[in-house]
Amino acid sequence: MPSVISVDRLIKRYNHLTAVDGVSFTVERGEVFGILGPNGAGKTTTLECIEGLQPPTSGVITVLGMDVARDPRGVKARIGVQLQASSYFDYLTLTEILELFGAFYPQRAKPLDLLARMGLESKAGARVNQLSGGQKQRFSVAATLVSDPEIVFLDEPTTGLDPQARRNLWEVVQGIHAEGRTVVLTTHYMEEAQLLCDRVAIMDQGKLIALDTPTRLAEALPAPYTVRAATPTPLDPDSLLGLDAVLDAETANGTLTLQSSDATRTVPALIALAGAGLGQLEVQMATLEDVFLAMTGRNLRD
Amino acid sequence: MPFVELFKANIRTLLRNRQALFWSMAFPLIFVFVFGLFFGGDAQRATLLVVDRADDALSHQLVAQLEALDSFTVQPSTDEAAARQAVRDGDASYLLVLPMGMASTTGAGGTASALLVYDQGNASAPVVIGAVGRMLDAFNLEASGAPRLLALEPEGVQGQELTYFDFLLPGFVSMGIMTYSIIGIASVIALYREQKVLKRLLASPLRVRHFFASIVVAHLLLSMVQAVVIAGVGMALFGAMVRGNLGMLFLVVVLGNTVFLSIGFIIGALSRTVQAASGLGNAVAMPMMFLSGTFFPRDSLPAVLKAVVDLLPLSAMVDLLRGMALDARPLWDFPGALALLLAWAVGTALVAVRVFRFS
Repeated sequence: MPSVISVDRLIKRYNHLTAVDGVSFTVERGEVFGILGPNGAGKTTTLECIEGLQPPTSGVITVLGMDVARDPRGVKARIGVQLQASSYFDYLTLTEILELFGAFYPQRAKPLDLLARMGLESKAGARVNQLSGGQKQRFSVAATLVSDPEIVFLDEPTTGLDPQARRNLWEVVQGIHAEGRTVVLTTHYMEEAQLLCDRVAIMDQGKLIALDTPTRLAEALPAPYTVRAATPTPLDPDSLLGLDAVLDAETANGTLTLQSSDATRTVPALIALAGAGLGQLEVQMATLEDVFLAMTGRNLRD
Repeated sequence: MPFVELFKANIRTLLRNRQALFWSMAFPLIFVFVFGLFFGGDAQRATLLVVDRADDALSHQLVAQLEALDSFTVQPSTDEAAARQAVRDGDASYLLVLPMGMASTTGAGGTASALLVYDQGNASAPVVIGAVGRMLDAFNLEASGAPRLLALEPEGVQGQELTYFDFLLPGFVSMGIMTYSIIGIASVIALYREQKVLKRLLASPLRVRHFFASIVVAHLLLSMVQAVVIAGVGMALFGAMVRGNLGMLFLVVVLGNTVFLSIGFIIGALSRTVQAASGLGNAVAMPMMFLSGTFFPRDSLPAVLKAVVDLLPLSAMVDLLRGMALDARPLWDFPGALALLLAWAVGTALVAVRVFRFS
């Protein structure tokens, strides 16, 4: 698969602050690529350098075979960009804004088709400030699609949305992906990255600390599985620790929690130990949250 | 065509932002109404009180000639003290006291001094003093029987007397356009930056110059409407006179406005917030509005200040509009002001293009 984006040793400094510190990665055509990390990790800066919004301090970025530093307008004509918390002209209707932005590109989609896709056809004559938070986000995604782009960039598309609106937007992103477009998104929601992204780059303090599929990132942990079960009679902690593949064990309020390197070995051993009294058995794979915690010692959303 | 769509968007924004549109007209119109009520209407003829102490043939002849002048209404008076008080109170504009024995004094080859009393705050006093003086000179020549060596044949070019309000109106047009353009553009650019609209535009392949040009053209159109409304109200309601070629007047409006739009872009580019932009815009527009001769002739300013103020773009615009509208003179009669305004237009546009960025 050919790479549509290649970032090579990207560094971005503002005065004394190094926002992005030597990041390299490639994005393949047709994938949903997530950049994950806490606030201030450098996600947005990385994205804006790729989009040609900010000049890198050093490093080379190629998008669709074009050098962003040399031909920013050529790149911009073939990508769609949604910015974090940007607004549009206050006195124009949704249709008028899409017509306006469409005029900036050589190829364009029909405003009403875009609005219909986002479930906003009834709002075609409304202004942006008359939309709810979720509708605003869907509209700004619609605006990224106005140029029929090959790559769509979404910067924290679901931040600040309620769960229903967030799920709505996930479907929108999956729809864009299904059309064969490449999607690059930033998020600090683990479940979002896990659900939407084919591959995830984890950033922390301007550095890329991991890059892989969500599953492989989790599997790389020493104990990627958590096994929980209710026991009528307390079990001996030492015998729990002795179970196959178990690295850590805890019991509280009649529930035991085991950290396991391989659930397929731990679960049969646990059943053999506890017998018929075992209830509410649950196996959970590690989340990206756990990956981040394990790699940095910090929680993602602090 | 990005320019056409942007132009449409700007016109829609201008027309739909009712509040800003209202104030673009209302702010200068407030001045038009206030000053129109005080100074509008037909030019009032000044009253000249005459205390004729001589009461002889010569003085009668002089009074008769004064009465023939268009500039004022002659009103005889016998009480000099009361007449002086009337001038002081503003009930009469001038008092002329003719000395006793005028005919005999001049007949004997002496000089008879007539006394002209006027209020020093009266702006048109120099004109009247000159007119009366010239009349006396002519009178002297005729009485002495000396041959006239030079003759001045004045040819009136105005069909009607000018009022202070006629003088003010071109200033109000310029001022209205200036404040709306400088403060309006500065705030909208700062707002677009605050709302990240500019950044969103930067993310598209749009060229800055298309954005720039579309705003300028939309505002130039609106400034012409502004000029028509402000001048129209002044003419229709307060009898103001606007003479001169309308095409050339509009040309000056457009040229002046490009300067103010560029200044607006520069302020918008330098301000981080809408408040800062509007504050800085006011700080630039307000002193200009008062110093550049909108309300008073700049001649009354201290010489050093006047030299600086004469170079301001609003001064040039007011001078051009006023000169053309009051005396029906063509644009090229004012090469200095025209060159100054052109220089401002080019200079500010170059700076604006340099400092304005989407990011």
